[in-house]
Amino acid sequence: IMLKGMTRLISSVHKAKHGEQHEGQHYNISFQDLKTVFSHGLPPRFVMQVKTFNEACLMVRRPALELLHYLKNTNFAHPAVRYVFYGEKGTGKTLSLCHSIHFCAKQDWLILHIPDAHLWVKNCRDLLQSTYNKQRFDQPLEASTWLKNFKTANEHFLSQIKVQEKYVWNKRESTEKGSPLGEVVEQGIMRVRNATDAVGIVLKELKRQSSSGIFRLLVAVDGVNALWGRTTLKREDKSPIAPEELAFIYNLRKMVKNDWQGGAIVLTVSQTGSLFKPRKAYLPQELLGKEGFDALDPFIPILVSNYNPKEFESCIHYYLENNWLQHEKAHTEEGKKELLFLSNRNPGQLERLCAYL
Amino acid sequence: MAASAVTAVRGWSGLLLGVRSVVLRLPGLTQVRWSRYGPEYQDPQIDKGYYRKPLAALTEEEKYERELRKTQVIKAAPATRTSSVFEDPVISKFTNMMMKGGNKILARSLMTQTLEAVKRKQFEKYHAASPEEQATIERNPYTIFHQALKNCEPVIGLVSILKGGHFYQVPVPLADQRRRFLAMKWMITECREKKHRRVLMPEKLSQELLEAFHNRGPVIKRKHDTHKMAEANRALAHYRWW
Repeated sequence: IMLKGMTRLISSVHKAKHGEQHEGQHYNISFQDLKTVFSHGLPPRFVMQVKTFNEACLMVRRPALELLHYLKNTNFAHPAVRYVFYGEKGTGKTLSLCHSIHFCAKQDWLILHIPDAHLWVKNCRDLLQSTYNKQRFDQPLEASTWLKNFKTANEHFLSQIKVQEKYVWNKRESTEKGSPLGEVVEQGIMRVRNATDAVGIVLKELKRQSSSGIFRLLVAVDGVNALWGRTTLKREDKSPIAPEELAFIYNLRKMVKNDWQGGAIVLTVSQTGSLFKPRKAYLPQELLGKEGFDALDPFIPILVSNYNPKEFESCIHYYLENNWLQHEKAHTEEGKKELLFLSNRNPGQLERLCAYL
Repeated sequence: MAASAVTAVRGWSGLLLGVRSVVLRLPGLTQVRWSRYGPEYQDPQIDKGYYRKPLAALTEEEKYERELRKTQVIKAAPATRTSSVFEDPVISKFTNMMMKGGNKILARSLMTQTLEAVKRKQFEKYHAASPEEQATIERNPYTIFHQALKNCEPVIGLVSILKGGHFYQVPVPLADQRRRFLAMKWMITECREKKHRRVLMPEKLSQELLEAFHNRGPVIKRKHDTHKMAEANRALAHYRWW
């Protein structure tokens, strides 16, 4: 059984020094990082847990450690490598992604984090015809919220990176060549009609300039299978819209291609928000479809599985330390065995079980 | 016609073992549902600990009891009773009462969400409170639930008795089971009727449970109203004959 202090890593251990001996232990994320880096992107149940415990603790697990090892040894002269987290529902793909994002943020990379690509292909109230290209559609609301979160995450970079082209928004407003990227972001937030185009410009500029070496770019997309699936959005004449007719998806597909240097692309495929995919599908081939798989090929798949016994013990120990398991029988061996059986060591299921015990 | 006559004859001549044929008649008790099991059927023993005890550890009485059970007929265990350590009969009964149209999945999920909501609210209060208050704040949703229902139980109830062509509300002592049932019934009807359309059941229920735990709130008020009515109709107590 683990010692009381062992499940929590002392916060002085720098993120870069997470090694295999730390597997199964929890480490703290400071509130500052939560507000800047993770203003969007954490799963909603985890956000509730952070609010209840007044602390954000992530478990260090093998898939995330593997990815951190690859990220530490990336060669920035080569084209960006794509890593895909896949696994069954509730195994921890999104949190592994967030772990790697936190690591890169601490190493001072530029984080381009799309919290859930599925939110862009469904339930959109206002679709405007794009100002830039008549064939495509804009999503002003989602684009402006994303720009706001992007701004809070990467404040210090926005003044350093300069735009390399002149962009004309309308008759009265334009962004000159050489002005900081922050201006483009401000323009997108203020003029909601041009927000999607602002996002497209940001993506284009970042891709062009990442190989110059001023900054390292991390592209993190959760639920990347939305980019190549189907949408539930319809035009006014009720005909369905394909994903490439959405300007945001079109630009994001260009971002996820590995024709740029100076960073890495970390992706997750998930069935949970996906449209028209069977519930039991979790493999990248099944979820991405032929088109998506061909577009992402070659990539490094990383399987995220259920907890192993050590991680399970550690998770239960963490809940007991925070007094989250209030039921008297949950402290006993019988209770633990029952939790193991009921959750099948699945992290999501275990969290939901412990919530009401 | 012929078939029904045959079955009626069979029922009377050879009394089928186990079928209840004697019916209790009391004015306060109307038999709305009864089990098909006769009085000789024993309740099933679901406790895992009972069966795991090694033979050597049993006392003489327990050995005798086990031998006796081998000769007795036992009822079938219902699907709702599990050998789980986390099972609670009060919670199961409450879930069944909340259930509508047989949708046990929905009722159970509402119950678990309520317990989670209670727990989260208490944790909020705990973190916001000073160290002296932290010792008094109860965070276990199960103890809060049990205590809240206990606080809602009325001590005395009212029963309609027909006398001289009129129905009178007569104060009457209630059995334990009736009191528990009334507490749960009042809690559920209160939450269903007095909530806003957009407010979800777990949130409203958790609010009511916490208020009942602290002896305030509308369900406690209803209990006090019942007590006052019973006190007011004290003179009619002689109409009761049991």
